[in-house]
Amino acid sequence: MSGNREKKKRRLRGEALTVLPLYVFTLLFVLGPIVYMIVLSFLTRAETWGVLPEFTLQNYKNIAEPVYLETFWESIKLALTSTVLVILIGYPFGYFMAKLTAKWKKRTMMLLMIPFWTSSLIRLYGWIIIFRAGGILDKLLMALHVTEKSVKILYTYPAVVVGMVYALLPFMIFAVYSSAEKLDFSLVEAARDLGASPMKAFLTVSLKLTLPGLLSGVVLTFVPSMGLFFIADILGGNKVVLVGNLIQEQLMKTHNWPFAAALSVALLALTSLFMFLYRKLSGVKDLEGLV
Amino acid sequence: MKRNKMISLVLSAVLLLAVLAGCGEAESSSKGGEVSSAVQTEDTSLKGSTLNLFTWEGMFPQEVLDGFTEETGVKINYVNFDFDETMLAKLEAAGGGDYDLVIADDYIIETAISEDLVQKLDPSKLSNYKSINPVYQGQFFDPEDEYTVPYGAGVQTIVYDPSLVDLEITGYADLWDKSLEDSVGIIASSRVIDGMALKVLGESYNTEDISKIEAAGQKLLELAPNIRLIKDDNTQDDLLSGEISAAVMYTSQVTMAKMQNPELKVVFPKEGIGFGIMAQFIPSNAPNAEAAYLFMDYILRPEISAKCYEFLGYYCTNKDADALISEEYREFLTLPEDFKAEKMEMIENISAEALEAHEKVWTAFKSACE
Repeated sequence: MSGNREKKKRRLRGEALTVLPLYVFTLLFVLGPIVYMIVLSFLTRAETWGVLPEFTLQNYKNIAEPVYLETFWESIKLALTSTVLVILIGYPFGYFMAKLTAKWKKRTMMLLMIPFWTSSLIRLYGWIIIFRAGGILDKLLMALHVTEKSVKILYTYPAVVVGMVYALLPFMIFAVYSSAEKLDFSLVEAARDLGASPMKAFLTVSLKLTLPGLLSGVVLTFVPSMGLFFIADILGGNKVVLVGNLIQEQLMKTHNWPFAAALSVALLALTSLFMFLYRKLSGVKDLEGLV
Repeated sequence: MKRNKMISLVLSAVLLLAVLAGCGEAESSSKGGEVSSAVQTEDTSLKGSTLNLFTWEGMFPQEVLDGFTEETGVKINYVNFDFDETMLAKLEAAGGGDYDLVIADDYIIETAISEDLVQKLDPSKLSNYKSINPVYQGQFFDPEDEYTVPYGAGVQTIVYDPSLVDLEITGYADLWDKSLEDSVGIIASSRVIDGMALKVLGESYNTEDISKIEAAGQKLLELAPNIRLIKDDNTQDDLLSGEISAAVMYTSQVTMAKMQNPELKVVFPKEGIGFGIMAQFIPSNAPNAEAAYLFMDYILRPEISAKCYEFLGYYCTNKDADALISEEYREFLTLPEDFKAEKMEMIENISAEALEAHEKVWTAFKSACE
């Protein structure tokens, strides 16, 4: 008996040792910075450089200024717009991808993966080449006699939305695909046999069964889109001010680190809220198919 | 099972070792700095010692750096930073040591001096000191010229394509013209652009009067419909491609744009312009300050200076080098003949309160441009 217990003890110690690096890593590089950020958000900025160790709530009061509050609204608006578009394109894509033959599934997957081999920044510059005055899009539209002058789409809101949808679409496709692949299509056929219209069969069977995938796709697009500030920077010519842009500006240009920290805490709280709502709504504890 | 556990144990040990090894490296490199300072006090010939140069990437042509090493035997350890703020943070962490010579922007040097991170210069060690153009000396960041030697200056000029613009632009105020709708590009600096509006209203760049900054913000909202883009990088490309027809740009970008399209017009805004000056300084605990003097003096030689500024594309701050800069660059690398020093106002550090007002005005302006 005692020998057995001894063995169990030793095994537990071994396990503790193997997971130790993970805990140390999480404490050091995830929890540590978050605590640092929260502490920083309550401190006072120094006149020109650095931070004074004086407690203040001023940074959070600043967020309530209409100018800054608007950047949160702007971020949510853009995230919503992109997510809706990503659902409209990504859901059917993922759904029908699951219906392909094994060979074509592989090929489609490959085609979706290839762009990831290049840095996302470089892919964004690709969009500049397409969108800029006299660029590929202009040339195409002029050749088709749709327009005679440049459409001037670069540095506009639609350009930012295209960039966002482009960057986030694969996440939705993969999430929906992994859900739809598990879907037993004979259930859809059964519904049709029992007299359901194609629409009804889709809504009551297919959609319901792929909902977890769709919802995790929404989380995977909505949450990151709150932070993808460099797309607004590069394709929007800095005219679309998101929370991310504001944080970057406060850190790099104005040196108001406490305010940047407060903004980050607020953003973190906001995204946590969305995650919480997602869990409540779906009853799912993790991100289906992707974790 | 047992074997798997062994493997994971070994792996975690390796991870731990890697972390520890990382710490070890950092220690040994800081020790390296101390060693070289010891060498320097014993040996004044400097040959074989190292100059730790800390600045942005691409500040000198390679031949100039190689020439220095060839002539003096001092090796150059060129260390980059991306932003002035990164430089200050690193210099602060090193307690003013580790680096022998730093080149950075004016406003951050003022902060570095106030933090006691800069040592006073001895001009007698610089035989070419008299070549410095006095226009760039005695400025706010070093009013008595005790700490710095300028190395290049930039100014926010207006550049426009006369084939796309109907009016003749002479100053910032012209950018508000209705005919320029959705066709102006500006740099992404709150102080410069808010300052532009302040100048149009006849105020100083450096006013700390919040109501004046807010008035400038109102003025900027009227400019918003004309703004097509706000950015710091490669604005010249947008001007060259016709995406925008007029821009407020940095000197290095003006140089690049003019090289590509000589038809572009460069305007010194009549409201008065604000130079930004880059300057060299020796940190307070520089391990090899003597080598820094040697390098500064070498760079101040007119023929070397001319090479540097042609490469750098910033205004030449060496008056004896002006004449040596080749014709094609001279027009935009040296000051115009009718230049009046008293019109020049630099952007200086202002109170945190005023800075926050600028920030608010700037954010509202950017959002209004969309």
